Amino acid sequence: MGYLDNSTVTVDAILTNKGREVLAAGGRLNITKFALSDDEIDYDLWNPAHTLGTNYYGAVIENMPVLEALPDESQMLRYKLITLPKDVIGIPVISVNPSAVSFISLADQVTITPSTLNLSGGNSTLGYTAILSDNTVATLEVAPDGVLANAAQNAGTGLLSGVSTGAAVTSFVDDEVTSVTTAGTSITRVGTKFILKPKAQANTSTIVRALLTIIGNETGGFKTIVVTVNPANFLLQNVEPAQPIFIP
Amino acid sequence: MAEIFKLFNPDDIVQGDIQTVSQPIWSENLNPLSGSTTTGVGFFTSSVQVSQSGDYYVNVYHRNINSTSVTNAQVQFAVAYGHRFGSGSYGDPNTVGNNANDTPTRAIYSQYRNMLLPPTDQVFTIGTGVDANEIVVINVARARFRQKIDPGNWELRIGSGSVASSWTGSYRSFIDNSGANETPTINEAGRIFGIYSGSGGVTASSTQFGLFYPDQGVFIFHAGLLRSNLGLPFNSSSATSLAASTTQPKNSVTASMFISGAGYFAARSEEKVTSTHYFVRITNKQFNFSNNPTFVTGSTGTFRHASMLRNPSVYVTTIGLYDNFNRLLAVAKVSKPLLKSFNREALIKVKLDY
Repeated sequence: MGYLDNSTVTVDAILTNKGREVLAAGGRLNITKFALSDDEIDYDLWNPAHTLGTNYYGAVIENMPVLEALPDESQMLRYKLITLPKDVIGIPVISVNPSAVSFISLADQVTITPSTLNLSGGNSTLGYTAILSDNTVATLEVAPDGVLANAAQNAGTGLLSGVSTGAAVTSFVDDEVTSVTTAGTSITRVGTKFILKPKAQANTSTIVRALLTIIGNETGGFKTIVVTVNPANFLLQNVEPAQPIFIP
Repeated sequence: MAEIFKLFNPDDIVQGDIQTVSQPIWSENLNPLSGSTTTGVGFFTSSVQVSQSGDYYVNVYHRNINSTSVTNAQVQFAVAYGHRFGSGSYGDPNTVGNNANDTPTRAIYSQYRNMLLPPTDQVFTIGTGVDANEIVVINVARARFRQKIDPGNWELRIGSGSVASSWTGSYRSFIDNSGANETPTINEAGRIFGIYSGSGGVTASSTQFGLFYPDQGVFIFHAGLLRSNLGLPFNSSSATSLAASTTQPKNSVTASMFISGAGYFAARSEEKVTSTHYFVRITNKQFNFSNNPTFVTGSTGTFRHASMLRNPSVYVTTIGLYDNFNRLLAVAKVSKPLLKSFNREALIKVKLDY
């Protein structure tokens, strides 16, 4: 006689700041879906050369303690697990063209075109979520040819990717970036192609930077690029054209 | 198509599960609260608080609030003495006539009368027709008892005899009569149980010493019975006669000393918690790949380990619960990484209390 299966795991959840905000506003938690992540796992610890065989490949990972959950939703579930066909040869990778943006003229604008590698048609249905970390550096809009078929439902939000509108954006670039401003708030847009335009700066002698993060709404992967604005030559360009004065 | 979210089926969400949770009532999960020179836990009062508001009540802490080295002393309960006619303390000498007895003890008595008795009832009646014109009130801090005190699961010892510099007297234990399957009386203040001498859920005599209001977190003792049965030296002199004195009697401090001297107060809090359970079902074909940057190598998404090709293994550490707008409303972590692959399925029950 064997023992009953006790593999069901029970865990306690905590409300995020967003969840508390919903309750405080008189709303109710209408939870309808879930996502999984493996934040804090380093797969370099996976050891396929373990002398004791396959059962021990992940022994170090499986025995590690897991940190407590944090209520800050922007810090949780960074690296989501993804459902893919078994025979994929790699993880879908978000690629952004161009890989960096630098403005030296107020009249400039740059079209940001994301794409997904390793998965044919990846993110073509739900598109991408673009988050510009600071709206005082540049503006972010969906390009006319980058509007999704279901755009009306999700216009102006970061809802498809699970990014709360206005949420603080974490630096997702490969390394720390200096001079990233935090004066404003983030901008979130959903589409397949985006347009960046620089904004006038009060201090024309200071180069400012913001981060643009592109998240695949189907694959969950993301790519962050640096948006640099050098306003040294903005001063003359920023002069508003004189309005005609009508004298009756 | 790739997916990072999975919808719950209606059967996967069990809402409105209400559970009654009881736990130790005192700070640091102490139960009972009793004196210990080893741990530094016991019954302590603040000299500052006594000098400022001791005419009305005295707070009892679980650690020595007067010690500069103690930083986590918290109020456990307050002790107050009330007198229906204002005896036991003197008040403002400028009040005359009908207000001459407007003393702290009268204010305390009136306060609890308004809180715990029906509007037309002027006096606490202990048992069958025994009016208590003077009362000792033990008021448990709300943060400690949360929603209510668990009836039938508390025991308070109050010292008897005299309180000397070192306690040498005996004590008497008190419990409520809920263990005797008494149907509690109900009034505006909720349930009311009688307080009797006894321990271990068994009452020792038929003499009722007070009233217990579990929904209010309040114990009302008949001060006169404590004086006559235990020898507690409450001063119930009239306000006018005490006015000539230079020192307030501070009967609340007297009561706290006899509680501290006996050094035993066991109780549990009771709380109804509404929970929703979410059954997270991860089938064999789902969530077998990861966006974790360590899962790949280079910038082209190539698996870090060749053994992962067509046989990936990932670890679940975090579960996020989302609404229709994909807002992350709740998050849960598993206690240890949970292995997931194409030949494994998982069922995780996520419990959300609010």
